[in-house]
Amino acid sequence: MKKWVSTVGSLMMATTLGLVGCSSGTQAPKQEAGGTSQVASTPASAAPAAPAAPASKNLTIYTAYPEQEAVVYIDEFKKATGIEAKFVRLSAGETLVRLQAEKGNPQASIWYGGPSDTFIAAAKEGLLEKYKPQNADKIPENFQDKDGYWSPVYVGALGFAVNSDWLKKSGIPAPESWDDLLKPEYKGNVTMAHPGSSGTSYTVLATLVQIMGEDKAFNYFKKLNENIRQYTKSGSAPAKQAGLGETGVGISFAHDILAPKNEGYPLTLSFPKEGTGYEVGAVALIKNGPADEVENAKKFIDWAITKEAQDLYETSKSFRLPVNPDATVPEGATKLTDLKVINYDAVWAGENRDALVKKFESQVRGKEGVK
Amino acid sequence: MQRGNTGIAFQHQLKTQRTRLKMLSKEPWLLGIIILLFISLFLFSVYPILQVLKLTVYDETGFQFDKVAEVLNAHFFQILWNSLQLGILSAVFGTAIGFVFAFAVTRTQMRGKKFFHLIAMLPIISPPFVMALSMILLFGRNGMISSGLLGIEDSDIYGLTSLVVIQTLGFFPMAYLNLRGVLESIDGALEDASLSLGASRWEVFRTVTFPLALPAIFSSLLLVFIKSIEDFGNPMVIAGDYSTLAVQAYLEITGMYDLKAGAFMAVAILFPSLLAYMIQKYWLSKKSFVTVTGKPSQASKGIGDKRIVWPLFAFCSLLTGSVLLFYGTVAWGAFVKVWGVNYTLTLDHFKYIFTLGLDSVKNSLIMATASTPITALLGMLIAYLIIRKNFVGKKLMEFSTILTFAVPGTVVGIGYVLAFNEKPLLLTGTAAILIIAFTFRNMTVGIEAGSNSLRQVDASIEEASTSLGANSLTTFWRVSLPLMKSAMFSGLVYSFVRSMTSISAVIFLVSVNWNLMTVSILSQVESSRLGVAAAYCLILIFIILIVIGFLELIVNRLGSSKRGAH
Repeated sequence: MKKWVSTVGSLMMATTLGLVGCSSGTQAPKQEAGGTSQVASTPASAAPAAPAAPASKNLTIYTAYPEQEAVVYIDEFKKATGIEAKFVRLSAGETLVRLQAEKGNPQASIWYGGPSDTFIAAAKEGLLEKYKPQNADKIPENFQDKDGYWSPVYVGALGFAVNSDWLKKSGIPAPESWDDLLKPEYKGNVTMAHPGSSGTSYTVLATLVQIMGEDKAFNYFKKLNENIRQYTKSGSAPAKQAGLGETGVGISFAHDILAPKNEGYPLTLSFPKEGTGYEVGAVALIKNGPADEVENAKKFIDWAITKEAQDLYETSKSFRLPVNPDATVPEGATKLTDLKVINYDAVWAGENRDALVKKFESQVRGKEGVK
Repeated sequence: MQRGNTGIAFQHQLKTQRTRLKMLSKEPWLLGIIILLFISLFLFSVYPILQVLKLTVYDETGFQFDKVAEVLNAHFFQILWNSLQLGILSAVFGTAIGFVFAFAVTRTQMRGKKFFHLIAMLPIISPPFVMALSMILLFGRNGMISSGLLGIEDSDIYGLTSLVVIQTLGFFPMAYLNLRGVLESIDGALEDASLSLGASRWEVFRTVTFPLALPAIFSSLLLVFIKSIEDFGNPMVIAGDYSTLAVQAYLEITGMYDLKAGAFMAVAILFPSLLAYMIQKYWLSKKSFVTVTGKPSQASKGIGDKRIVWPLFAFCSLLTGSVLLFYGTVAWGAFVKVWGVNYTLTLDHFKYIFTLGLDSVKNSLIMATASTPITALLGMLIAYLIIRKNFVGKKLMEFSTILTFAVPGTVVGIGYVLAFNEKPLLLTGTAAILIIAFTFRNMTVGIEAGSNSLRQVDASIEEASTSLGANSLTTFWRVSLPLMKSAMFSGLVYSFVRSMTSISAVIFLVSVNWNLMTVSILSQVESSRLGVAAAYCLILIFIILIVIGFLELIVNRLGSSKRGAH
């Protein structure tokens, strides 16, 4: 009587197991990547007569901006160009891994946001396509990639996230220099990420080596180690912990500090007077991405460095500093020109990363100390 | 002489293999399904992990083991040991609590059983990072309990203890779901018999109930152990000085940009897990646990003795209190302006989700709904084949089902992208890749629960069905499946919940058209918008509770309509 149940059941099983075969046809694959990207790489003037690739209105973006921020920027781009841009949100490190895994057939054409060191690593792996956006010469040269693989879109300086309630309770002023952090009143109240696990924290290490010289810098970190409450794993965690009162002072990038402050956490932001390092946020064209999107992707990069695009850092309340000198600096953020930033050498920092991190692990705090 | 012996043994083996094949060829449907299962298990469980392994030891120039050698230093073994310690502690506590809950709910006349049943399932709904965050808000330096209630000035909660507490709370439901079915189906008449023979309650428990539940206890230990060492979200937030392998692997990949080293560390987690798995299987193969024989039996009324029921009730209430405390914190966080700082009530977080985030909620729901029935049915089917049928490569099948369950999600995610990103196996960007990943990653709990149930059932019940002319599949559908009702329920619930809440595998598989809720939650946590994250979690819990209720209804009907038809 109920024999049909078993038949239907087994049929269902068979179809689901056979799902593989069918579903590969459902998405329009983009296999002509090789041929068209060559055509596209002829010097790109704004409107070439006849586009060689079947142009579409699509654009797929991997972005490391938080969701609510990405929505603001990408919606504005859609309005400005009519291109149907869609995004997937991943952290910068995850984007890098995903690009590595997808290398044979990338699923997106733009990587938008995230620190330049991840972009440098991606370029080294051959995952990015060179592209020089229109009006790139407007952007200060020291932020640019000399090889032309990525373009800068924002700058974030390192600063101190200080819990205001803690300051009030313990009656001490906010730290104003790297040396302040060594004072006894900060004992057990300074939190930074471990340079072996976080790009932010490696920037701290490389900055201080560049300011003080290697020996003095390591002496500094050995002393600072006495005051450290926690070495966190992620670079934005120190700011969050300071916000929650889990620590007194956290060292993070300014936009990672201002975001929780803007949410209402009791934070004071200060910058070290000896000078500070910074990260450059970037945008890049992904190599061999969907062929029909290449032109749109280039338009996106052109747009991303404009004043209009970078004015949005204020609307999105992200407090990133625009690299386009014409763009408005968000209220509450310190202008780059008012800030004492060092001439941070990202290339040197990248080349010495392994050696400096190893030295940090052996002389200051090993990975077993990572919190 | 020696050679002759082995020759004969070999021939004998060949012969049994041949008879097995012959038996299978009588049931082409069964044979077809087994072959299909093998193909899909290879494709979706083994192949992606092989791809990740290949990544770490193989490049254009051939095999390269220098990365492996670089990773295998003293630091590696230290964190491996950390992971093992954590896994063992969480497994023991989680299983113990799961057992007490399951015992109280199934074998006593305790009050509020329905309620406790619900509470025991709540913690598997632990969205990424949120439980650990509410631990910080409750017991951290500014914690509501530590500093607010108890006035502790400088509480430091980061470390192994917090991690074990959170994992135990989060994983005991897995043990509960696994044990409930088995404890429920232990024939009450057995216990009554030994009682009437003069044994005390304790002796009955020690000599009858407990030994019969042993296989399920061991498989619960195994499941919790595997999930504990594979866990990434909790240790990431709360582990403090205590580095674990899953977290270290992730940081190696995303912080140091060393995909090879990280991938190797992540795959290395498989070894302790598989070792534990094999020990368990070896031990199980030595014993019989049949109690359901098809002969008439009476349902026992359950223990009513106050001296037993009250302590159990107190224990369950205490645990329920802690579970509710954690979830209450999350619920409250969803309705206040700034979680931890500003407790003005607001609906802003929900507004954000209903204007911007509804798509990802809908997607998650679709994916989970699609994968859940497939996962649970496949789980039951594989359990049935493994326990009841003999075929070549059965051990291999069993073994491959555990692979994607035991590796950290990161490995599954990366492996799936490596394996299915190019023609002819182009799946990236589709919904199918998510559904398949969920199915093969979440199947194990159903298989374990199903096997445990079937082990208790005398095979003669099914044999009766086949000798009356039904084929194996009909027997599976009409006889075995209803007997595995409770296991089926566990498989369904676990699969649905995990599909809704998984993050580390999913992050590599979501695409512009198929973005999921957990990815949004993660993004909110990362940008300190804990209120929105909490609101997402509340919606998640709400959806899951409705679905669990619905599943319970369906599964119960599955049994009763069968009975009614006879």
